[in-house]
Amino acid sequence: MIRVPTDDLSTQQTTPGLDDLLRRFDHALEELQTAPGFAKPRYQTEIQQIATDILGMSGGIKALDERAPLFEEAGVFVGGPWEDTTRLSPPLVGGTLKAGGLSQTMETLSDLRMVALATGRVTNGKTTTEEAMAYLEKITSLNLALLFGPSTEAERTGPAFDAQAASSLFRHILRNVPVERLVQRVVNEIEEICVQRPIWTHQVRKMIRLVAHLPGAEPSDDPALGRFVEAITGPTKVSRTVRDPLDYRKAIKDMHSAQLAREIEDFAASLRATGLAAEQHAVLARHLVRTDVTRLADALGLDDRGRAELEANQDLTAELVRVAIHPTTCQTLYGLARILERGLLSRPAVAGGLRRLIDLSIRADVRKVLLATRDRDDGTTANEVLVAGTIRVLGQPLGVGQGNNPTCQAARGISMWSQHRPGYLLELIARAARDGVVEVAFEGDLMRSDELGPGLAPHLDPELDPVSLTLVPHLDSLYDEMMKRVAMRTDDGHRWVNPGLYGRIVPSGFSSAIDKVTATVTNYRDFVRLFYASHHPHYNDGHALIYPNPVGLLITTTQGVLLGFHAVSLQRVAPDPTGTLRAYFFNPNNEGRQDWGQKIRTSVTGHGEQEGESSLPFHQFASRLYAYHYDPYEVGDTYAVPEHSIEEVERLARESWGRKYPWLPDPNAAAPPGLV
Amino acid sequence: MPQTTTTTDSPRTMHARTALLGWSLEAMEACHKHGRPFIAVVPPEFGPYMEEHKLAYEPWDFSKLNERSTELYERLEERGVQFAVPLYEETVEWSGALNARFQSNPRLFNRSLLFRDKAMMKRKAQIHGLKVGVFEEVENKDDVRKFLKRVNAALLKLDEEPSDPVHVKPFAAAGTVGHRVIRTEADIDKIPDDQFPLLAESNLAGQEFSCEAFVHGGKIKFLNITEYVRLGHSNFIPASPELEEYRPKIVEAMEELIEAFGVENGFLHPEWFISKNGNVKFGEVAARVPGGHIFDLIERAYGFSAYYAMVLASDPDTEQAAFDELFPQPVTGAEGHAGCLMIYPRKQKIEKLDMPDELKNDDYFERHTLFEPAAGKVASREGFGNHYGTVFLFGQDPERMRTLLKRYEEHDFYV
Repeated sequence: MIRVPTDDLSTQQTTPGLDDLLRRFDHALEELQTAPGFAKPRYQTEIQQIATDILGMSGGIKALDERAPLFEEAGVFVGGPWEDTTRLSPPLVGGTLKAGGLSQTMETLSDLRMVALATGRVTNGKTTTEEAMAYLEKITSLNLALLFGPSTEAERTGPAFDAQAASSLFRHILRNVPVERLVQRVVNEIEEICVQRPIWTHQVRKMIRLVAHLPGAEPSDDPALGRFVEAITGPTKVSRTVRDPLDYRKAIKDMHSAQLAREIEDFAASLRATGLAAEQHAVLARHLVRTDVTRLADALGLDDRGRAELEANQDLTAELVRVAIHPTTCQTLYGLARILERGLLSRPAVAGGLRRLIDLSIRADVRKVLLATRDRDDGTTANEVLVAGTIRVLGQPLGVGQGNNPTCQAARGISMWSQHRPGYLLELIARAARDGVVEVAFEGDLMRSDELGPGLAPHLDPELDPVSLTLVPHLDSLYDEMMKRVAMRTDDGHRWVNPGLYGRIVPSGFSSAIDKVTATVTNYRDFVRLFYASHHPHYNDGHALIYPNPVGLLITTTQGVLLGFHAVSLQRVAPDPTGTLRAYFFNPNNEGRQDWGQKIRTSVTGHGEQEGESSLPFHQFASRLYAYHYDPYEVGDTYAVPEHSIEEVERLARESWGRKYPWLPDPNAAAPPGLV
Repeated sequence: MPQTTTTTDSPRTMHARTALLGWSLEAMEACHKHGRPFIAVVPPEFGPYMEEHKLAYEPWDFSKLNERSTELYERLEERGVQFAVPLYEETVEWSGALNARFQSNPRLFNRSLLFRDKAMMKRKAQIHGLKVGVFEEVENKDDVRKFLKRVNAALLKLDEEPSDPVHVKPFAAAGTVGHRVIRTEADIDKIPDDQFPLLAESNLAGQEFSCEAFVHGGKIKFLNITEYVRLGHSNFIPASPELEEYRPKIVEAMEELIEAFGVENGFLHPEWFISKNGNVKFGEVAARVPGGHIFDLIERAYGFSAYYAMVLASDPDTEQAAFDELFPQPVTGAEGHAGCLMIYPRKQKIEKLDMPDELKNDDYFERHTLFEPAAGKVASREGFGNHYGTVFLFGQDPERMRTLLKRYEEHDFYV
């Protein structure tokens, strides 16, 4: 049972020594305040030092909070990343706190300043009370684990991280934000994550468990929250009270048929509504396999196609449930439902490939990694974990994510193969798990991953699904090696590496906005025009995308400042329900909701997206593109693309990431009107 | 509100009579506080900072000595500058060259070179009769070998007795940078060949200390004595009564030095050795801001800004009244003793900061600048290198100050 640690600050004794520290802090703050602007950095160190000591003491947060309205004006944040309150980024707060030491101290002082702004105790002319409040709600919702104090889970923290101080900070924030709104925000967050149907659900499950314990959160009174809490703890009449899988197993045996039918129906409804499964659901599925496997169709809430597929593959389905569906792998139920609906089990390569994994001889190192993904030791084997993971990847190709790793290329590959080369993907999984190698032929050379050095992520973050944990180290090495081999060529390496890594589903045409040799934006209008002519249905003679297109994006901040390059795949281009033409794409970074500045915000739901897709209006997507593939035989009328469309894309590009690059004028055009 | 400038010009055109050579927030802040306009001559990479804060400046790359060097004089002259203050070792000859032009005294430049060539500096002192050790310019390891041999022969050492050490150091580097103690063949082998030529000198016995003298019109306006507890690690201000007892002899030696070097206006930071019988020997001298937080300690003990005092002393037109107003009486005018301990990690890999509560709760403890290490690896260093942080102490009893500095010098602050 998790509880918010209680410490009523009003009755708290301050520690001896705190008064002395506070005297020194006040003195240092005054010195900083009176120092001329250019000399403030000289006095900031002292503030940081004393504040670190104060934060380590009971009552420290409260004492600093009283002084927080003075911080900004005195110059505590001048010259550093916390200076401008409009540029603070909530997703960075958790990592900064966990880094410990100076980072944690500065982040805490900055957040206390936001509390002062949110409660109207000070104004800075830039951030309103509402904005400051929204910021606090956001950072609290993202850091519930820190609020609840030191956890037993291995968190990535710096050696000097003070978990107690971090917990005090969020408890303090909690006293200053309306809790109902915070709960609402967290529930929205959970909703928007779940609507993307990620295959790795550890994080969102943790959020659900934590938010349910916030003071003021009443799952029983809040249908939105209650739905998610029940989805993972027990969404049916019986499972609501019988939480333990073993007890539930006994309960099923004594059920009469109407009661069982009710359980089946309720489990299915919850699974399809939230994308989350409860452990008892796995117990039920195993029970049905023993009694009447066809009833799985109802228990998984299958559509007509899924029902037909189950009918045709009863033995294999039963086998997969016995192997892969356990209480600890219950989430695989959703993957199983989707794999049936995709009709994949009827493909001999998929059926054979899955069967092979069941008794594959898995290497010791891979086995260790696979077993570590379980929440608890429950007797499941590495093969069972791997089969379960594979079912999820095949069932939900767009639910694959890269976790906290710079491996978007590998995640994109797994997603693309799951969609269009599932047999090949199964082959790779088997080789990696059994032989510790992935082999790819690149431009006539056979490349073996076990002969290569580590790639971009030598130490993979373990918060990943079993298939990614098995495959990504190999794909990462191969990708890195391929990029090295083409490094001296004069065009962007992805021109050759994408077809090399992903296979022939990648078309041969390639266009890039940035000239690699000169690092300048060259022929940008041609680049955009060709993209419209090859991908926009009005100009491309109606050639729809058959395979996802591995494109390169330039990611920008909420201010439109260039952050870096990112690999996504363009899934399809189609009008949304309102008729706006949108680009639907797969973003492997686990977070489809992005704000890239210039009002460009990717959407994951409500604009015709399928599960796991992100989308943007076509021209906005084009404005962040720097490289794409196209089929040279499927280019429509480039001349028909209207000038004003291209100008709009160019404007968005130039005023955002384009500011980081020199632009060469198009050789055949006069200087673009209005732009220099 | 003090003004750094009297015009609303841009940072690149503002006028001022004082030029500060080198980037120093402390020096600029001191001038700002005293309402004295200045132009800071700083490396070009500081330009954006100066622009952002509207501070008068002139960008200049001090590492480039070439035929364009006279441009700096022309640009400063045009902006009304009348004298330059060197803040860093590397800017000392620049200030000599500039002041030679501003004050139409070409010898000022040659004089500044004395501070930049330790062999020339020693020879000058020797010619003038100051007591120095023996020294030689050495070109290679063989020269060092011969020097070590000759010094020990002169000391009448028997072969089996351990050698008396000699020291080698670069001609022109601040403080302890590149300084090596040579006792054995092995020590000689460790000197990288590319560091030659070097100055080799015999070991000077006695207690080492430094002076900080603000000189105007060839006269000492204020003389501080800094007591070293351990060279490069700890010192305090003012010195203990045992050392201050020798002040008359030290003043005498300082006056000889000023006369020998012909210093009219400016700041001197020499290091001396004093034997039990009060024999003062010359080590070396610098004309820039000293290391070891000495200026911070002066400000803490005496309450005046040594940066500003340096500017006043460098200005040929400063009136005596300005000094009278700024300087208290040495020793008796101090509020107490200010000391500091500079911390160097002693391990190759460090994981965390260990700041003893006993030290933090000591009533002499004032503040520290040590941080939790982010990365464990300690950068290897030559000479004393950069310290990782400093502990500042303040109190009334010099004996207790010395004891504390010694005790915590033994402590591993990084483990």
